[in-house]
Amino acid sequence: MPEPILEVKNLTIEYTSGKSIVQAVNNLSFTLEKGEALGLVGETGAGKTTTALSIMQLITSPPGRIKSGEIIFEGRDLTKLPQSELRKLRGEKISMIFQDPMTALNPVITVGDQISEVIRLHEKTTKLEAAAKAKEMLEMVGIPGERYSEYPHQFSGGMKQRVIIAIALARSPSLLIADEPTTALDVTIQAQVLEMIDRIIRELKTTLILITHDLGVVADICDKAAIMYAGEIVEYGTLDHIYNHTLHPYSIGLFNSIPNFDEDVHRLKPIKGLMPDPTNLPKGCSFSLRCPDCCETCRQRKFELTEAAPGHFVRCIKYAQV
Amino acid sequence: MANQSDTKIFEQEEQVVLKKQSQFREIMGRFAKNKLAIASLVIIFILIIMAVFAEQIAPYGPDDQDLSRRFTYPCAEFLLGTDDYGRDILSRLIYGARYSLSVGLISVSFSCLIGVILGCIAGFYGQVADNIIMRLVDIVLAIPNILLALSIASALGPGLGNLIVAVGIGAVPGYARIVRASILSVKQMEYIEAARSIGASDVRIITRHILPNCLAPIIVQATMSIAVAILSAASLSFLGLGITPPTPEWGSMLSAGRAYIRDFWPVVTFPGMMIMITVFAFNILGDGLRDALDPKLKV
Amino acid sequence: MATILEAKHLKKYFKTPKGMLHAVDDVSFSIEAGKTLGVVGESGCGKSTLGRVLIHLLERTDGQIFFEGKDISDLKKSELKEIRKDMQMIFQDPFASLNPRQSVSEIIAEPLQIYHRVSSKQDLEKQVLELMDTVGLARRLANSYPHELDGGRRQRIGVARALALNPKFIVCDEPVSALDVSIQAQILNLMQDLQEERNLTYLFITHNLSVVKHISDEILVMYLGKMVEFASDKDIFMHRLHPYTKALLAAVPLPVYGMQKKKRQLLSGELSSPINPKPGCRFATRCPYAKEICSQKEPELEEIMPRHFVACHFAREINGL
Repeated sequence: MPEPILEVKNLTIEYTSGKSIVQAVNNLSFTLEKGEALGLVGETGAGKTTTALSIMQLITSPPGRIKSGEIIFEGRDLTKLPQSELRKLRGEKISMIFQDPMTALNPVITVGDQISEVIRLHEKTTKLEAAAKAKEMLEMVGIPGERYSEYPHQFSGGMKQRVIIAIALARSPSLLIADEPTTALDVTIQAQVLEMIDRIIRELKTTLILITHDLGVVADICDKAAIMYAGEIVEYGTLDHIYNHTLHPYSIGLFNSIPNFDEDVHRLKPIKGLMPDPTNLPKGCSFSLRCPDCCETCRQRKFELTEAAPGHFVRCIKYAQV
Repeated sequence: MANQSDTKIFEQEEQVVLKKQSQFREIMGRFAKNKLAIASLVIIFILIIMAVFAEQIAPYGPDDQDLSRRFTYPCAEFLLGTDDYGRDILSRLIYGARYSLSVGLISVSFSCLIGVILGCIAGFYGQVADNIIMRLVDIVLAIPNILLALSIASALGPGLGNLIVAVGIGAVPGYARIVRASILSVKQMEYIEAARSIGASDVRIITRHILPNCLAPIIVQATMSIAVAILSAASLSFLGLGITPPTPEWGSMLSAGRAYIRDFWPVVTFPGMMIMITVFAFNILGDGLRDALDPKLKV
Repeated sequence: MATILEAKHLKKYFKTPKGMLHAVDDVSFSIEAGKTLGVVGESGCGKSTLGRVLIHLLERTDGQIFFEGKDISDLKKSELKEIRKDMQMIFQDPFASLNPRQSVSEIIAEPLQIYHRVSSKQDLEKQVLELMDTVGLARRLANSYPHELDGGRRQRIGVARALALNPKFIVCDEPVSALDVSIQAQILNLMQDLQEERNLTYLFITHNLSVVKHISDEILVMYLGKMVEFASDKDIFMHRLHPYTKALLAAVPLPVYGMQKKKRQLLSGELSSPINPKPGCRFATRCPYAKEICSQKEPELEEIMPRHFVACHFAREINGL
């Protein structure tokens, strides 16, 4: 079995607001091997972005705090590393792409300089070498090298997102975290950008964590998927497990909520109710309030992730080993 | 419809009374958490009590002279000492609150009213109206405030009413600009379009939808400019163009005490401190209100 | 079924410093009462502008609008107020489309007050609470403010406000785009129920193709202000005739796994500018089938199959018709 590149173990993250404490991420564990692409799927407030920020060690504290757990990246526990080490790690080994391409670039610096700046920050190179490398990066994401000295406002949304990806990949990191990288883009542009991400991570053997609410995007470029609900992973497995052998009632509900492209249904079957208030989660299973198959035991106690089939984990009473 | 139920949110229905539950209480709740702001409110409250009940509170009349007791340092009899005519400084300060506060409050309401109307017209209708109003505002802004107040005051002559006008006119552009700017940003919001789509008239849109959402900057500007108005009034009086001695206005008290500044400190220090404390209180109140008024800060 | 709304050669141009922006350019269609017309396109294609022009939130540059057979292209202020009762709008952003200083009941009550539909305070209260029941909002939320509620509930307020005057026609501008999928499905079901109960007609604007397929009876595809294809939903999804529609549908990432990952036919390039567009087909720069004529002559909208209109010079050839 190949060495895992990232191992998250029992991660719990808390946010304090006023007197109440919110558990944004609760006892989260997953493992990623080199070159794998994991899709982290969930709705607003599921804790996806918090998880990503914790891997980058960018949780603002206060109000946030990693309460317990380990994040082991290439053999080292990130939660215990000093700031100086972390700074070296970010950009060099781990980088992150944010959702909004409109605000992530500095409007007064040319896109080329923004890329070469990242290169020069971590590597001792001359300006010229860095510029040449930056041009190479631009071309890799499908932008002609001549546009090196243009400013962000001369680029469209899709082009800006490509530049951001070029910046993130400039130091060929081993782990790339992409937080809703295509949500702000139109479908035809989204398809282009997804295809490009897919091509590049296969080429560079980059490990990818893709955060999204769109199950379609995950199906396109990921190998594994984790469905998150209220700070917990409720189902985790390969795409085949998640898409073709869906087990958790929440995942099933998510699939049913998406209007189907290929068949006609008169009415959708949405998940009833609303996301629970994070300050006041149910005592038992966090999905129990909305679950169609909820029983008394579900309301009383939580369940661990259980391996329902090899590599396919579910957090539900139906598959729990009692 | 059989499967209608899944579109509803599952909640118990209970009888509710629709009541106009104003946001005032919530705003006050948030305001109350800000200790500094509460302190400033208390100070302002004390100042108002002083102004209203000056006759009852002040140990002496504002003009009671005792020439034998000129320049007395603070003592049990005269808590803050006496001035060059042997008048009790404390009593004069208490009576003076009447003038300073009324100049501040009235001139601010006056300039606020005019500024808001001008800003609304300029911001909402734009184009020609906007151009004319904003260029006029620019002209007024180009003249230094104190100079403008000076010239108006000297044209109109001394007196409380004229002082209020002189101080107020200089503040109008500030309101007009703030209101126009916030209207321009609020006007873009989708809920304004939504209001138009349900057939609301311009007046209704301005008064119900735009102004309530511009209220926070206006209120903050108003409290802050009370402080400015009190200062300008004091400056004008100090220069002899506002309220003239022997009226116990704080600025004119400062002015009158100027000659003795090296020899007898209480005569300038205490009026100066009163001005400072008042201005300070209104500024902090303004800050506190700004924080309390933002509905998105509600937790 | 009677046609409720008809647009003929509708145009809306905006003046910009760089020239005329052709947001909606020569769009014609009709909607039958009780049906849903879906308008699809990417950002900047003019779909939102089209919706706003139809209900006079923006004034058209040219063309005609007929509502229930009556020409409503030019209206006086009083006539406009009259027609607004019948034509309402649900907005995209449930955060921005509600006045943060008004409570839920005030927002829903406002249209009733403007049109003097209430006889007394009790009557107003009764009507507001009934509307809240209709859209599935718990009555206890009547005195809450929008920012205290989540996106799904806020969008229900928006729906209630649009329903208050009992309109016949509602423009829905991306009403579910800002919502999570599970909530999105709830709102879509609610809108369908309301349509059946009240025989409402929707113009449903969205960029989400699976949503538009689910809710629409007919679909209009727009590209840079132009109509490129118009047909019933089945026709468009079964026989996509226009190259843009084909590319658009191919680009949607589907939540399915297993069918061998199809190699997508990706569009190269991005939208060209809608400001002072060049003559010829606006899609020509990105079209894989483009020939010389495409950049010279603008294609007319042609009825290629029964009630299936396409604007492409080669619609027949590339589809083997």
